[in-house]
Amino acid sequence: MRVVRPVAQRLLALGPVLFGITLLVFALNAVALGDPARAALGQRADPEVLRQLRHEYALDRPLVVQYATWIGRLLRGDLGRSYRQQRPVTEVVADRLPATVRLALAATLVSVVVGVGAGATAAARPGSGLDHALMGAAVLGISTPVFWLGMMLALVFAVGLDWLPVSGYGGGDLAHLVLPALTLGALHTGTVARMTRGSLLDVVRLDYIQTARAKGLAEGTVLGKHALRNALIPIVTVIGIGLADLLVGAPLTETVFAWPGLGRMLVAAVGERDLPVVMGAVLVFAVVYVVGNLLVDLAYLVIDPRTRAAD
Amino acid sequence: MAPGLLAALLVLPAPAAPQPGGAFRLAFGTDPPTLDPAQASDTTSSTVIRQIFDALLELDERLEVRGALAERWAVSADQRVYTFHLRAGVRFQNGRELGATDVKYSFERAARGKRPWVFEKIAGARDFIRGRSPGIAGIRTAGERTVEITLDRPFAPFLYLMAYDAASVVPREEVARRGATFASHPVGTGAFRLAEWRHDDELVLERFPEHFRGAPLLNRIVFRIIPAEITRFNEYRTGNLDVTDIPTGYCRRVQRDPRTGHDVAIWPTLGTSAVRFNVERPPFDDRRIRLAIAHAVDPRVAVRGLLEDCVSPPRGILPPAMPGFNERVRALAFDPALARQLLASAGFPGGLGLPRVAYYYNTTELNQRIAELIQAELGEIGIRLELRRLDWAAHIMLVDDGTAGFFRQGWIADYPDPENFLTVLFHSRNVGAAGNTSRYRNAAVDRLLDEADAMPAGVARFRRYGQAEQLILDDAVWVSLYHYSSRALIKPYVRGLERSPLSSAPEFLAPLRKVWLAR
Repeated sequence: MRVVRPVAQRLLALGPVLFGITLLVFALNAVALGDPARAALGQRADPEVLRQLRHEYALDRPLVVQYATWIGRLLRGDLGRSYRQQRPVTEVVADRLPATVRLALAATLVSVVVGVGAGATAAARPGSGLDHALMGAAVLGISTPVFWLGMMLALVFAVGLDWLPVSGYGGGDLAHLVLPALTLGALHTGTVARMTRGSLLDVVRLDYIQTARAKGLAEGTVLGKHALRNALIPIVTVIGIGLADLLVGAPLTETVFAWPGLGRMLVAAVGERDLPVVMGAVLVFAVVYVVGNLLVDLAYLVIDPRTRAAD
Repeated sequence: MAPGLLAALLVLPAPAAPQPGGAFRLAFGTDPPTLDPAQASDTTSSTVIRQIFDALLELDERLEVRGALAERWAVSADQRVYTFHLRAGVRFQNGRELGATDVKYSFERAARGKRPWVFEKIAGARDFIRGRSPGIAGIRTAGERTVEITLDRPFAPFLYLMAYDAASVVPREEVARRGATFASHPVGTGAFRLAEWRHDDELVLERFPEHFRGAPLLNRIVFRIIPAEITRFNEYRTGNLDVTDIPTGYCRRVQRDPRTGHDVAIWPTLGTSAVRFNVERPPFDDRRIRLAIAHAVDPRVAVRGLLEDCVSPPRGILPPAMPGFNERVRALAFDPALARQLLASAGFPGGLGLPRVAYYYNTTELNQRIAELIQAELGEIGIRLELRRLDWAAHIMLVDDGTAGFFRQGWIADYPDPENFLTVLFHSRNVGAAGNTSRYRNAAVDRLLDEADAMPAGVARFRRYGQAEQLILDDAVWVSLYHYSSRALIKPYVRGLERSPLSSAPEFLAPLRKVWLAR
């Protein structure tokens, strides 16, 4: 029962959150310079075609009517048609979703495996040279510009060594996933590593760890079995929010590696003032974010025995 | 014969016969928005459309008109009636045979599309486009395979329009069946048909064996979608692309690099990059201010420093590759002393009293650096420039509606005729989004352009355009920065890729059916 109520609350809150977000995006678009009809016509625009196109896109109607129409369609499950591609927005978004999900999951995997591993290793010998080296690398990972890192990885591993493909989706081939996942994962790997180290060091000072050590358990068992479990809560938070972040897209990584994902598509749609695509994509992102946070909260219930004991 | 030359002759391979087969791999920066000839308004879409569809005519590498769906054509003595005779036995990719009514249907459909100007010279087209008549009166079919097109008045470049991709012929039944999705399921008569399209990733064409010229040599054409130019370059270097464009700032480097030096191909195209003034907006309504700026900007600095001499310095408005390019037209010379004098005579000695001037440009690294250069050069004569960097949609809006007084704008010709430069960009009837963003109104220029547009092709017609061009340059409404060129890397085994002035890497508008791979 304890799980049902917070979940229901979150799901109920989803409606107003999404409404607010779409209103905000619509308003931002309305005040932004640029006309979708004009942008769709290239440099030389016939005034008559411009007028017809504005009518076709319903841009000649009051903003309130435009927004109300969009909401009305949304309630019927229709995200409208892309101005530019003349295809349903659901189709445009669905086309890019698999690539985005694959990249986000792979980057998260990289950040969890490498980040937790490096963080735990650093925590085992706090203050050592290894600790400093790993945490230094973590800061580097967090602060390296994504575009630059991607370009360097491609130059070394694809152009120089010819071990991996330069770019592209490769029809889902795993080799194509490696460099984008490493690039996108680098930022979160650093965050996860630092969080893991900090969280573990907080926990090992607690009495029950001293008890475990006093029982004569091996240090590996103490850290890996007893400490890590309790240190996991903040780590899971970082990973969960990170996953949502990554799902929302990674326009720079997708651009360097020609990855057909949602982030790159959204940036292009903003540039073309393709409002239906922008609204549709932002809506999907908002749902991902809210649901991602919800899953993090659920994970607390599973991990933290205190939340269950307090019932 | 010198022994060295003999040795060279011995090792030279005999001119190889074209080999069929293989996949030709190239890349675009963006996914084509549409593959419907009536809906396209960008060169990426046009590149693919030209492979899937045919028009009545096409242009060869030297910009000469050749027959395509039409095997022959005749022009009446008064230059108003064009009669096209279609080839027999041309089939659409759905198997149906092409007929004259397909041409009429396609033209009327496209006239109500995104590029109506391609058809508006045809008698009755304007009424049709505005919904005042059920069809274009000037397009008549006679029998199964004859189309007769009557123009309002003579228009020498009309044959070029009939070779333009907006005038591609489409099958009515497929358009009816597909509706708007025809844009992603195109069916034409072209040498290639759409095999697969994974948006933002890859678009694959396969050969259409029943093409009226016979099957093309290539089995497939693979267009990868790779937004970053440096990534396209890396894919080329690792052998995954057969052609690509040269990234900004890499022109000299690839020429010097022994691994790419032999692959470099640079050829002039039909475009000019420029800065323009809105002559209605103070202080640019004062010709002396415009002249001062024109004389203070030295385009050679940008050509050498930023563009690595891989484009040509400006000669006038028309690019040198354009038929009708006039050697005698003179652009305003770089002359800072004269610029200072003009500024003083306009009432702003040393720029004193002149408010900050805003310069508008759209976001690219090159545009940014050119803007900074112009800012420094104008600073030398005392004009303070404020840089307004906007994305394309915002930039074009402020340029069209007249907000921008001083702005970057280039033009690339749709077809090789001065009319497509000068009339579009400077005739008073095109003020605003239609092309004349300078809002320039000069009765003498209008008259010269009107006369030239209706004259028969020839030297006298080109001379009129030259006179108009000189008047426009002297009025300093447009200051050319450089003439575009296509900067490409082409693998040595790629044969038959036309370097037409209308083709600019990575978008090769030339017919790719002539390409073959000597591997």
